[in-house]
Amino acid sequence: MKTYLGIDVGSVTTKLALLDQDNQLITANYLHTQGKPIAVIQEGLKQIERQMPPNAEICGVATTGSARYLAGVIMGADLVKNEITTQAIATMHYIPNVRTVIEIGGQDSKIIIIRDGIVTDFGMNTVCAAGTGSFLDHQASRLNVGIEEFGQRALKSKMPVRIAGRCTVFAESDMIHKQQMGHQTEDILYGLCQALARNYLNNVALGKEIQPPVVFQGGVAFNQGMVKALEENLNTQIIVPPHHEVLGAIGAALLVHEETDINGNKTQFRGFSTSEAKYHTSAFECKACPNQCEIIQLSLNGKVLARWGGRCDLWERTATSHKDL
Amino acid sequence: MTTRVGIPRALLYYQYYPMWQAFFEEFGVETAISPPTTKDIVTSGCSRTVAETCLPVKIFCGHVLSLADKCDYMFIPVIRSMGKNAYNCSKLLGLPDITKAVIPESPPILDIEIDANKSKYSLYRAIYSLGRHFTKNPLRIEKATKKAWKIYLAYRQKMSSEGLMPTQITDKMCDKRHQVDLAENDSPPLLNIAVIGHPYLIYDDYINHRLITQVQAMGAKVLTPEMVSEQALDAAMTSLVGNPRWTYEADVVGAGGYYLQTKVDGIIGLAAFACGPDSMMMNIIQRRARQLKAPFLYLTLDEHTAEGGMLTRLEAFLDMVKRRKRGQSCA
Repeated sequence: MKTYLGIDVGSVTTKLALLDQDNQLITANYLHTQGKPIAVIQEGLKQIERQMPPNAEICGVATTGSARYLAGVIMGADLVKNEITTQAIATMHYIPNVRTVIEIGGQDSKIIIIRDGIVTDFGMNTVCAAGTGSFLDHQASRLNVGIEEFGQRALKSKMPVRIAGRCTVFAESDMIHKQQMGHQTEDILYGLCQALARNYLNNVALGKEIQPPVVFQGGVAFNQGMVKALEENLNTQIIVPPHHEVLGAIGAALLVHEETDINGNKTQFRGFSTSEAKYHTSAFECKACPNQCEIIQLSLNGKVLARWGGRCDLWERTATSHKDL
Repeated sequence: MTTRVGIPRALLYYQYYPMWQAFFEEFGVETAISPPTTKDIVTSGCSRTVAETCLPVKIFCGHVLSLADKCDYMFIPVIRSMGKNAYNCSKLLGLPDITKAVIPESPPILDIEIDANKSKYSLYRAIYSLGRHFTKNPLRIEKATKKAWKIYLAYRQKMSSEGLMPTQITDKMCDKRHQVDLAENDSPPLLNIAVIGHPYLIYDDYINHRLITQVQAMGAKVLTPEMVSEQALDAAMTSLVGNPRWTYEADVVGAGGYYLQTKVDGIIGLAAFACGPDSMMMNIIQRRARQLKAPFLYLTLDEHTAEGGMLTRLEAFLDMVKRRKRGQSCA
């Protein structure tokens, strides 16, 4: 059986998805990146290997997410794709008539506008991480509420409190104030959801034409409180698609399937033994010019696989000569 | 010993360097250019200026610092206005004073104020007092001015008629080592992408994380405001907003309007974070692009050193444009 593997290495979580040749999901994994992308990719590969049907063969690998280049080198990916394109492709696969995609992840959030099956506009959060999952994560830990039970408890709120959502630092002092006034934790939790929804709509989605069907995905879509807050704000039904937390990985797998079908190339996948290999990254400052770029070097058993981080291709060029190792 | 005038490779440099060089050359004065922006230049500039200053001005100060001990004068012209009731940003107007305040070790500053709202006489007087540093003969100053203007017109004309970027001309003039090596691809580019914004953002590879090279590497031809004649830019600007409010509005509103009319595949707007005029001018183009359903990507540049965020947006933008184009050609 031919299968296609997509890996989405985000800042907070790493997602892997394996599709068969009819683009049906065979298995998916959702792991915490914990600042160690390489180890997590290897762990994810091990899990996929265990979960794979015995007759399956990997015919294409694609990576996406903020560590897509690193993951691409480690895996021997056939395709390295940005997360906006992969998310859009996967959403259209499950909800073909989608017109608006709201994606809220750990460190970034996006809006993708789709008309007639084509992405026509998109937006991402700017330098500030206020409108993202880490905002909820951070505040939940302050209130000593696990992020898993956050949504359910928020739904119990009867009189949500108003919390300034423009900036996490402001929100925090506002929230502490409300907490010390004696408000119920449930009301504060739902207040936070509303603050995040407002923040998202006023920043990331500012000026975008939000038309139904509206699909909400990414890790934060687990939070029922957020779904409700967005529905209230937008006055429309919010669809949370199946496998919403691994859609980036699914999109990557869909794209690499499409591409290998067109060009007929054999996969560059390094095989499951990759999960046992000893990868090592090191950094150094290039002295060739006054820019002093920080070059990252990825090596396997002492041999350099790739280098990146430079403003010119001086170091990347030297690395490609080792690519066949 | 020949006198050396320092010209920072920042802000107005990209628009006017050949003109300035020609002017000073007439008096036998050498020009010293600072090197292309580096990490050191940015760091030293940022360390002297207050946090609220925009990145281009911080970088400008870094360039002045790198030239401070290499020249006898520092040339910092002030372009107050180039057209009726259109003025430049206050930071650019105060540039000689900012420099004096934050870089006391700078050699004497040569400033000249150009203001189209004042009489022709005041323009002559401004140029004359600049030339007076090198000669007492007004005829020589007049000759230098005429020559410099001719050079400027030729420079502008060459860029718009041959589709060149300023750096493709100026880099040859001032430093052979930094020639931009634009690999000419024989196959026609898949996409035409216009990059609009001020030249000091578009052509400074450090500030924009090699945006032009990156877009070209993704298979697109890059079009910039300088590749359009001033008349065409002005016409496009007038049809959008009437009379401009800002001196360099043509870089943004003119170029954006022009490239929207000519139906390029996509437009990338480059602006500096904390730039007031840019935030307003880009908004005009953003709205117009939305009306016309034209792909528009707005990138704000600041002191970030990680280019990942920009790459993700660029890749997604070009993917979007490619898929849209494919979808349209199928329909």
